[in-house]
Amino acid sequence: MSDAPTHVVELRDVQLAFPQKTVLEKVSLKVDPLDRLVIMGQSGSGKSTILRLILGIIQPTAGEIFFKQFEISRLQRRKLQQVRTHIGMVYQYSALLSSRNVRDNVALPLEELTRKSTAEIDKIVDEKLEMVGMMESKNQMPSELSGGMRKRVSLARALVMDPELILFDEPSAGLDPVISSVIDELIISLTDRSKVTSIIVTHEMESAFRIGTRMAMLYQGIVIADATPEEFKKSNDPVVRQFLSGSTEGPILEGSKDAVATK
Amino acid sequence: MPRRDQIHHTPNDSLVAAPGNVVADVGAKSREVLREVGSLFWFVINTVSETLERVRRGRAPFRAAQFFRYTERAGVGSVPLVAMVSFFLGLTMALLTGYQLQRFGTERLVPGLVAIAFTRELGPLLTGIMLAARIGASFTAELGTMQVSEEVEAIEAMGIGPLRFLVAPRLLALFSLMPCLSLISSVAAIIATALISRAYFHIAFVYFQDLVLHALLIRDIVTGILKSFMFGLLIGAIACYRGLTVKGGAAGVGTSTTSSVVTAITVVIGFDTVFNIVYIVFFP
Repeated sequence: MSDAPTHVVELRDVQLAFPQKTVLEKVSLKVDPLDRLVIMGQSGSGKSTILRLILGIIQPTAGEIFFKQFEISRLQRRKLQQVRTHIGMVYQYSALLSSRNVRDNVALPLEELTRKSTAEIDKIVDEKLEMVGMMESKNQMPSELSGGMRKRVSLARALVMDPELILFDEPSAGLDPVISSVIDELIISLTDRSKVTSIIVTHEMESAFRIGTRMAMLYQGIVIADATPEEFKKSNDPVVRQFLSGSTEGPILEGSKDAVATK
Repeated sequence: MPRRDQIHHTPNDSLVAAPGNVVADVGAKSREVLREVGSLFWFVINTVSETLERVRRGRAPFRAAQFFRYTERAGVGSVPLVAMVSFFLGLTMALLTGYQLQRFGTERLVPGLVAIAFTRELGPLLTGIMLAARIGASFTAELGTMQVSEEVEAIEAMGIGPLRFLVAPRLLALFSLMPCLSLISSVAAIIATALISRAYFHIAFVYFQDLVLHALLIRDIVTGILKSFMFGLLIGAIACYRGLTVKGGAAGVGTSTTSSVVTAITVVIGFDTVFNIVYIVFFP
């Protein structure tokens, strides 16, 4: 395990297969400190699955996943829970607890995992809500918030334990273009300011290029490209080219069931 | 040996033509049931171990306020229903048995009969059935909705043990309140019997009290309470287990809630029967 710690996250030949379907064939990825790695790929290509693997919520069929020096799939429950407190996760649909108000949602990890007093918790919660611009909605319930606002709260909740790594699952999904740019900028400024590494899963090109300092493209269970945004734009790989242009002509649709619709 | 999904029934299949299918079906069903029983068992064990782990680190397993919210909902909220149903059932039982026994002039057996029946049998059983329907269903629906909307996964991703955080307070609330509720059930039924005995069979309250105290044994009461604890644990565990294993969106929550109530009621009655057989065989 001595060769792992230079990266924040490292996936080594990770395979995830179910009886009917192989989701990830052989995925290797390295994430360096302060990277903002964007993982792109088609819907259902297993992008979000990678985030769940890193959190240890699902186990890989083969391969190893490291968060710093810890091998996620080999950790005991208690150790795994400790490791998870260093990772923040922002879900696609925010996954706020619907029976708690904004303040309680953000305070939850602090209340449950630390021995801080209520006053200290309030201070941290206020600070994080201020960072995402949600102070006014502190006492509202999640159901009273719009999609963008929920995402902000979810971001505040992910930041509240001062994690070293934040995972974003489709941060701009279901948001209008303006709000989605706002969220993108929030991600950039917060990760810069808080000095955290992040992994963002998305299939929206615009936001991917805005956020990413590195990009990886997942296709048919394999990472087919892993480069900086500039290199990515110049890529000659036909799959990457088609994905960037959003064209219906190219290798992606061949043999895919979705292709039926285009003919 | 064919697996469940490999068995093809054709219209001509009858017990005589293909007895193997029936055996295979029964086998597959039993295996499914055993698997569920195993999962439920581990579910409870994991919940307890996750909770104890936290206690060993010197922290309260969950907030007192949260626990009391469940005890209030499950316990205090159920008092009117449990008391009312038991009261009316006590009335009916006293009346029906009383009229039969009156023919032999032995209606003074009614108080003891109802008292014993409720303290060791009907009280816990009725309360169990009512709690499974009232609270089990709500726990399953609540946890199921959280599961479907990724809330449970989010809790897990934060590093909070969902079993400790979500299941333990609910389980403990049902476990500790079930005996109180079955006590209320028995008391309500006995009060109802006292009223009927006074009104129709001319048994004065003082004499009634004498008859009940004479008939009831400590062991009836202890049996009833022991059973109640077990029922509370079973109902809570089944409800939470079904809630956290919901699959398939809103429809899944509905199916799981139905299944939770049906399973809990069946298990409570089944457990009660087994308990009685064991008890009567080994401690006559």
